[in-house]
Amino acid sequence: MRTFVCKIARNLATKKYHSNTAAIRNSQYDLALEELEEVLADKNSVEEAYEAEELAEAINGFMATLNYTDRFIFTRRYWYSDPVKDIAKMAHSTTNSVTVRLFRIREKLRHYLEKEGLLV
Amino acid sequence: MKRETITLMLNGLAVDYIGEAEVFRPDAIQESPERIVHMNKKRIITFALAAALMLALGITAYAVWSIHVTRQQELKADLQIEENSVSSYTEYDITDEKLSGLVLLSSVNDGQEQHVYVNISPVTKEEAARFPSDVRFSWSIAGTEICGFAGPQLPVELSLSGKEAIRNAVLENAYDEKSQTMTLQCYIDVKFIEKAEAELGTKDIPFQVHMIMGEEESRTFGPVSFSSTEEQKRYFDFGHAIYHDTELDKKIEIVGLELTPFSAIWKVSYEGAADFHTPDADPTAYGPWSILEDKVCIESKIIFSDGSEFSTGGALTTPHENGTVNQFCGWGSAININEVQRIVMGDLVLWEAE
Repeated sequence: MRTFVCKIARNLATKKYHSNTAAIRNSQYDLALEELEEVLADKNSVEEAYEAEELAEAINGFMATLNYTDRFIFTRRYWYSDPVKDIAKMAHSTTNSVTVRLFRIREKLRHYLEKEGLLV
Repeated sequence: MKRETITLMLNGLAVDYIGEAEVFRPDAIQESPERIVHMNKKRIITFALAAALMLALGITAYAVWSIHVTRQQELKADLQIEENSVSSYTEYDITDEKLSGLVLLSSVNDGQEQHVYVNISPVTKEEAARFPSDVRFSWSIAGTEICGFAGPQLPVELSLSGKEAIRNAVLENAYDEKSQTMTLQCYIDVKFIEKAEAELGTKDIPFQVHMIMGEEESRTFGPVSFSSTEEQKRYFDFGHAIYHDTELDKKIEIVGLELTPFSAIWKVSYEGAADFHTPDADPTAYGPWSILEDKVCIESKIIFSDGSEFSTGGALTTPHENGTVNQFCGWGSAININEVQRIVMGDLVLWEAE
């Protein structure tokens, strides 16, 4: 129980750290963001004006559509900014398999955001 | 979408998702793509049998007793236990001595994991309604550091999207307001159970469930004594069957299939397989083999004596162990492993009953 509560506390601390260091950017973080940018690029130059709450609702709504393994892979890559080969090791899978899954997840995300009207 | 917007979106990722990704545990709640809600035919029988106990137990105790038995019947129907003669399914007696706190309903061992279904009470409706946003569940084995996620037990083929939908489904399917009872599923890796048995020096492990509310508040239910149940497994030896994929122009040996009512391990082998299942594998070289591995799981058909067919679907994990790639697949409702008549992949007959 203590372990579990500690894990939650650590997650919250990590999230805080993630927010604080997001502006500094490290190479893995940049790489991961570029992958998403590539797929989520706007087709026009309309100024974006999304509320943080609206975006949070969208990403969490999208996550709810994924199975556990895809959620794990997505979160490890785009939240924890882990390299693909580390994710593969954690998920007892292969680099190629994770790469393919990430590609499919990004495509799904694009469709989801389009459907939600957040991506034009 | 601009980089800043993507960052803002990722920062909004719920703590639930971040927490569950800390360690790879594919036993968290998984929603399958299709959904058929099974009506519980046996509920009427349950209530008829239970009615006689109302006088003996009193109305309040009856309401609590009733929800345990009702949930057992619902689980059995939803998991399709009886129609598929699942011998590895264990249902626990509900006695009037232990009706609240943590009550074991049933469990099944699928070889990889022990699925344990429990009721916990009291859980208020307000607390139940905080799931999944602000309430989570976990299980642990007292006296050890072994723990894992638990989740409300929802009908197997329910497909949900969004927290609101999950919340409503939980209140409708896994929560009983009258008895303030929540029904949970806890999936425990059998290796964890073995570890706990070794650490505690007993087969009767003290199993407990926790409800975590917000960031600090928590409540523990149990412990109750739990021991691992027997698994039901069949192994189909394919006698070194070779599948030649003409599109990929590659051959793969389909060694065998370990089948339980809720899971399968496809064992395949090919030259260089061990090297491809390491973190440093060359993804380009592995690409076509990965497709071929997927094909074995997805395109092979298990044909039953009544003519119905079943596909195990894609593998959740694919470790290379003991000389073969072991592709582990799992699903929600049971299949009857004693009624397998043939196993085929395309025109290739892998196994046929004599």
